[in-house]
Amino acid sequence: MTNARMELVCPAGTPATLRAAVQAGADAVYCGFRDETNARNFPGLNFSGEELAEGVRFAHDHGSKVLVAINTFARVNDVDLWKRAADTAAECGANAIIAADIAVLDHVAKNHKQIRLHLSVQAAAATPEAIGFYANSFGVRRVVLPRVLSIQEIAALNRAIDVETEAFVFGGLCVMIEGRCYLSSYATGKSPNLNGVCSPPEMVSYDDEATSTAARLSGFTIDRYEPGEPVGYPTLCKGKFKAGGKTSYLFEDPVSLNAGGMIAGLKAAGVTALKIEGRQRGKGYVTEVVRAFRKAVDAVEEGGDAIEIDRILAGQSEGARQTAGAYSKKWR
Amino acid sequence: MVTGSTEPTLPAVVRHLFPTIAGLPLGPLLTLSLRSLAGRQPRLFERLGEHRSACYFIDPVDLAFAFTVIPDGERSLVRVVRKSETATSSVLIRGPLLTLLGLLDGTLDGDALFFSRVISISGRTEAVLALRNTIEDAELRPADLLGLHGHLARLVDRGILGALNVARQMTDRNPGCEAPEA
Ligand code: SF4
Repeated sequence: MTNARMELVCPAGTPATLRAAVQAGADAVYCGFRDETNARNFPGLNFSGEELAEGVRFAHDHGSKVLVAINTFARVNDVDLWKRAADTAAECGANAIIAADIAVLDHVAKNHKQIRLHLSVQAAAATPEAIGFYANSFGVRRVVLPRVLSIQEIAALNRAIDVETEAFVFGGLCVMIEGRCYLSSYATGKSPNLNGVCSPPEMVSYDDEATSTAARLSGFTIDRYEPGEPVGYPTLCKGKFKAGGKTSYLFEDPVSLNAGGMIAGLKAAGVTALKIEGRQRGKGYVTEVVRAFRKAVDAVEEGGDAIEIDRILAGQSEGARQTAGAYSKKWR
Repeated sequence: MVTGSTEPTLPAVVRHLFPTIAGLPLGPLLTLSLRSLAGRQPRLFERLGEHRSACYFIDPVDLAFAFTVIPDGERSLVRVVRKSETATSSVLIRGPLLTLLGLLDGTLDGDALFFSRVISISGRTEAVLALRNTIEDAELRPADLLGLHGHLARLVDRGILGALNVARQMTDRNPGCEAPEA
């Protein structure tokens, strides 16, 4: 697999962003429907069936693919919403469906044999046995890897499986095992795995107080910011909490992932596709990040050295604090 | 919350235009242009979902007045209001006029501007997100919202969008919203 060119998979929360990502050089764009079937269920975001059909036509006309994320877990007695989403994606001519729920995988495998199935990171499949199960049972062709593996582990995994792997390289970072985080269920009653949203915006508030601004989720203070200090979106796993008499970022610092410097390593580890997170981000941001990663991936494919790759991606590290996550094995 | 010295200033063309516009019945004019936009692009307003009936208080800090906007398609309503008339609004958005206009065509990244506090937002976060995502997808030019056409529209767009390059340098990057992904 290491001889084929790596595919750059980019986010699109709206049709305008899909077009922007394609024009910036995405090999594939992933997106989802405007409902609970996808894990970016935010107000004003996502696609109707008609918009997806237009998006697929646009992407195909420009030589890019469209992957549709139907990646939350279906509710008891309400699987039809998820099945209908898969049917619509297939009718629109999408190249692949990204799913985690066995009911959705089974429905696509039985009814839409022409469409590729990718296993969502939400399924958290990280062993040859788990991946083998999904490949054998549903014909899954690609697995999006959980963000808990080091490059060495990915290389070992790729030697043991015969499906493609896709690895996140940039953007927001979910620090728990995907599909298993219940933090927001406790705090808000809503879950990213079932409702498609972690930190639902209707429960987010920014309250200006005497000496600081408090970012709250469902009434819980997640962080505080001094006047003028950049604020963040309140996410439970990146919140500042008091424990054992000490206030700290208890689970993880508010960092985002940047594994740009590891593209060559991921290629050597046999990874087929590199994924950029950020379906909630605007088209200006998506254009800039996709352009930079396009150049970096092309440079790696042409044998560029680490210094050249660092130079291309230098602009992508301004502002937010970043981490190479588990890839570098230093992540706590 | 709004930055001082690096704030983008209105370009000459807009500065000259604004006293003239301010003398006109700006509310009804903007209401009309929003309604005609809804006629041309109904899908744009669908994206707002239930939030199309929300009242957005838009406060350009470099103007003497503010607006309230109810973006309800062909029933949209824009009013010019005093800066203190915030009581009935569900969302308050404050920032330099150029920056607010830059959000319209996606020249500026709304998240980055908010997180770096170039613009300040308070009220119902879900209504803000719905508006921001709708605007992102709409690819509007400033002249679309001012209801301008032809040569004047091109002139205003060029002036405003040119000045926005300055504002762009003020924006920063932010992790944005975290969650599991596909
Ligand atoms: S709280 Fe953190 S770990 Fe849990 S789903 Fe949200 S982003 Fe992921």
